[in-house]
Amino acid sequence: MNVHSEKIVFDLPIQLESGATLSSFELMIETYGELNQNKDNAVLVCHAFSGSHHAAGIKTEGEKPGWWDQIIGDGKTIDTSKYFVVSVNNLGGCNGSSGPTSLSPETNKLYGSSFPEVSVKDWINAQKILLDHLEIGLWQMVAGGSLGGMQALQWAVSYPNLVKRAAIIAASSTISSQNIALNEVAREIIRKDENFAGGDYHLQNIKPKKGLKAARMLGHITYLSEANMRKRFGRKLQNPDTKIDDEVSYEVENYLQYKGEQFSEAFDANSYILMTKAMDSFDPAKDFNQDLVECFKNIQAKLFIASFDSDWLFPKEYGKAIQIAAIKAGVRSSYVEFEGDYGHDSFLFNSNNYATTLKNFLESDE
Amino acid sequence: MSKSLENIVTNWVAVESKVIDFGCGDGSLLKALISSKSITGYGVENDPKKIQDCIANGISVIQQDIDQGLFEYKNMDFDMAIMASSIQCLRRPKEAMETILEVASQCVITLPNFGNWELRTGLLTGKMPSSSQLPAKWYETENIHLCTIADFEELCKTEAFNIHRKVYLNKQGETSWLTDRFPNIFAAEAVYLIGK
Repeated sequence: MNVHSEKIVFDLPIQLESGATLSSFELMIETYGELNQNKDNAVLVCHAFSGSHHAAGIKTEGEKPGWWDQIIGDGKTIDTSKYFVVSVNNLGGCNGSSGPTSLSPETNKLYGSSFPEVSVKDWINAQKILLDHLEIGLWQMVAGGSLGGMQALQWAVSYPNLVKRAAIIAASSTISSQNIALNEVAREIIRKDENFAGGDYHLQNIKPKKGLKAARMLGHITYLSEANMRKRFGRKLQNPDTKIDDEVSYEVENYLQYKGEQFSEAFDANSYILMTKAMDSFDPAKDFNQDLVECFKNIQAKLFIASFDSDWLFPKEYGKAIQIAAIKAGVRSSYVEFEGDYGHDSFLFNSNNYATTLKNFLESDE
Repeated sequence: MSKSLENIVTNWVAVESKVIDFGCGDGSLLKALISSKSITGYGVENDPKKIQDCIANGISVIQQDIDQGLFEYKNMDFDMAIMASSIQCLRRPKEAMETILEVASQCVITLPNFGNWELRTGLLTGKMPSSSQLPAKWYETENIHLCTIADFEELCKTEAFNIHRKVYLNKQGETSWLTDRFPNIFAAEAVYLIGK
């Protein structure tokens, strides 16, 4: 598999949904496979809220495989020997694209808390500029899980003639009050870290790591299923030799501490807030008088909507609601519910029925 | 689905109509209707392998246990519902038919005829009969509400399900003067177009 990584500077303004404008912006991307001569074998994969452009493969020694490595690769579900796969770090992220941890071209200082609010539509618009830059004719498929699935849906709505297929996995057309509440608890934990400094912690060379860690620990629980946690950890006590700190008793505590710690090293607190806010505000029907059926009437893409039985964060009713609106609008669409061992995170893993069905969708007749 | 059955349904479906096929299998009937009648079609299926096949065939499919979710498809402007060889598998066929007629104003129902003479004589041996339409053993069959043509048409009469059109087929999937004259004895399968 040919892995290519690049930071692209777009020396043109982009107007954001909030009304703010970035006078220029950068997108960090990774691509896998080769664009064919007709430029019609491209697939866009969109990351979930804490993901990045690194979706597959290993470029440098010691690097972890990308977040969808089980799905993307030569001979895999999204077969990079046939398709040219594009993955983008979204605006507001912290992995190389313009965001709180990048330099503002106006001030030549880190954006920090001054990076404007971003939305799913803003991301789609930036990805559209990327599509033109890469001289890709259209996407054979736009795919993603969770917040990535919401981007796939928004693509089908915003640019109907540029998307042949949209795979909307473990996603929703709007998130629930409970989802927003969980996001707000996480944001509150981050904001109340004494190192947060109103979001301008970088000026003092500090990081609100404690808050970020606790927010991630909370979030991580919501991505797993109760059954999966029971199977994996049960009530097993943590081996004293490998305890992350003395307060830990059970394996599950140690695991969450470890995952939270790792995340707080790698991720940015302002990005966390921006990305979760983009998730909260996602609502493709808001330009259509809150009428999702009207909103879907322009869609030309075929939709593949999937939920996982163990996902309690984005339960199957969310996926079904998308398809019911799609049927009413006469949009070609399938809804499938898969067995998944990993709760909301199930979309990341290759399981036989899920992988085969997604592959069939990508390779199906038009 | 036999070619003759496919032809009958194709004749009854209007061009560019919106069709839902309950128990759509691999989606081949919908695929045929899309190419011959330019319909917008959705299949309902609960078997993962068949769902995979539908999607490979480019057919829109909804994963759903028909026994539980027929009511979800009301108010979706379907012109026609198709239920081929599955009405006898449902837990409550009468209620299912009432619901289907709320999903779409017209419904195609196909039915294996338990009154067929081969099954009648089979029963004379003292054991549950089987045929090419009904091959499974009694303990393995999904057909929990088998009936004869006479039974079904009586139900339609008492419940005011109007039979607009009907075709009786022998076990070769053909019409004949025998099946037309004595359907409840000679037809292996009946196909109905039902409305309210």
